[in-house]
Amino acid sequence: MNNADILMGTNLSKRFDNLEVVKDVSLTVKEGEFVSLVGKSGCGKTTLLSLLSGLEKPTKGKVILNNKDITGASEDELALFRRDHVGFIFQSFNLIPTLSAWENVALPLFPIKMTGEQRSRRAHDLLNQMEMGHRIEHLPGALSGGEKQRVAIARALINNPKIVFADEPTGNLDSVTGEAIMAILNELHKKKGMTMLMVTHAEELAASADRVIRMKDGEVIA
Amino acid sequence: MNFHYVVKELYYQRRRTIISVAGLSIGIALFIILNALSLAYREAARAPLKEIGADITVQRAGNVPEELTGAVFPCSAITISREEVSKIEKIPGITGIGQAVLVWVFDLNRAWIVLGIERDNPIGPAILRNFVTEGRFLENGKQEALVEIGYARQFGIKLGDIVSVAGRLFPIVGLVDASRAPKIAVANLYLPLKDAQAIAVSSKPLQSVSPFAPGDVNLLFIKADQQQIISAAAAMKSILGEKAVIATPESFLKLLGSLFALSDKFTLAASLIAMLIAILIAFKTMAGNVSERAKEIGVMKAVGWTQQNVTMQFLMESVLQCFAAGLLGILIAIIVAFGLSFMTVNIPIPWEMSPTPHFLPGGGVQLYKTLRLPVHIPATLAFFALLLSVFVGGFTGALLGRHISKIKPSEVSRHE
Repeated sequence: MNNADILMGTNLSKRFDNLEVVKDVSLTVKEGEFVSLVGKSGCGKTTLLSLLSGLEKPTKGKVILNNKDITGASEDELALFRRDHVGFIFQSFNLIPTLSAWENVALPLFPIKMTGEQRSRRAHDLLNQMEMGHRIEHLPGALSGGEKQRVAIARALINNPKIVFADEPTGNLDSVTGEAIMAILNELHKKKGMTMLMVTHAEELAASADRVIRMKDGEVIA
Repeated sequence: MNFHYVVKELYYQRRRTIISVAGLSIGIALFIILNALSLAYREAARAPLKEIGADITVQRAGNVPEELTGAVFPCSAITISREEVSKIEKIPGITGIGQAVLVWVFDLNRAWIVLGIERDNPIGPAILRNFVTEGRFLENGKQEALVEIGYARQFGIKLGDIVSVAGRLFPIVGLVDASRAPKIAVANLYLPLKDAQAIAVSSKPLQSVSPFAPGDVNLLFIKADQQQIISAAAAMKSILGEKAVIATPESFLKLLGSLFALSDKFTLAASLIAMLIAILIAFKTMAGNVSERAKEIGVMKAVGWTQQNVTMQFLMESVLQCFAAGLLGILIAIIVAFGLSFMTVNIPIPWEMSPTPHFLPGGGVQLYKTLRLPVHIPATLAFFALLLSVFVGGFTGALLGRHISKIKPSEVSRHE
């Protein structure tokens, strides 16, 4: 693994009972790179993203993320690693319904010893960057889909991650809102040099990435 | 753990929180009320003895007088010798003794129930000094008497009159309102103890049934350490024999016959069942909450919360709910206790403690001590209930928190 590689998965397999969802996949993502993982629904791309981000442990293979082999790490070690180095954006936003927009953004910081004011300031800054300054105190139930995803993006960035994993970030949005969200992700990549691995089934969205990896039946085909 | 998040979660999930808090608070309130009722009955059972300044009364049953002439002892109260009193004084836990002599005196034209009392002893019938309505209480060293006001009216006895009792003359120096006095150890003529003893010593009919020496008595009023009343009563029984009649708060409690009075075990079992049902309601509500929040837990873990962070979050939510339930339960219990404190309870006075001969008017009537049930919630009980509810919260929160913290962070993407 050279210095430019931030993520490397080697011979990764994942089996659920008798079903092998990911089959001997190897891939590398370089620092500052925007990679799309494309494939039809059920081809194993979300599972592969879970393996690479440390959400799921592989049945076989190895994952090195930010120069750390996370394959054998415990659940709590992985949690702390994700908190310090990884950001997530999910298809259905996954905001906590009882917390306001800024509190959702600050959720990864709750277990960290810092003042409420520090948390609040960081969350407010990020929401302002996402042009969500007017919705800071609103609960997710009062936000539109696009607004929810902006909050989710802000949450993914709160810990200054080395890499952001995005799982179908526009999947629950209409095309116009989806384009706006993609514009934000592209801007994060281009202006701030954010490394990103995005799972999508939409070829046109995947095309905006630096590199496209295609999957079929649990294998990388291109 | 984030307290702000805990409070918001409980606030926004109001329905769930209210069900959980209400369920547990009812259980806590029941637990407190059942125990408070049990304590109230115990306190009520102490009342007949407490109002005469004692924890235990002692007398000994004997033979029926052969003839009802002159001075005789009631068959329920025969001689307790000076030596026996000395032995009783030495029983561990006894803190004071009051003595009295109760005699029936059948003179030619009148029957007297005479009680000889220790003028200066706060334990026992000298408490009558508070119920003198006319005249004064007995003075030291004087041969004089108090008469019960109803009896005085019936027989036209007035202050300053001199009455003859068993051939001895006593000026009446005061009238006593026995209707306000303690229900046990009542009489219609009250004399200094030594004069009543002298009447008993000189009575042949009395001596023939129950030999009585100077210094002997036939009623004892005993103060004892609350924790040692039962053991002290047993020790007295062994000194006085099987015919000893020993009245304790426990014996009055048995006369009450209430479920609460009958058994501590009943109270304990009932309150524990109430608590258990409440805990199950709280647990079920919280468990439902946990399953509803599986995805939320997945998100928390995905963004970096450790198992301990998640467990602490649920623990705090649970403890806070149960603490609120504990406070609400105490409040409900206070209101219910206030309502229950208007209930009255009738404590039957055993016939052997009633001094009136059954063959005289009013002698066969069952006596009762009637009082309002003294229901109150001791601070220790309230504190214990609050502690118990926090413990329940901690236990259920830790159990559910540990369970839910094992949810994998990948759950979050599985629900996509």
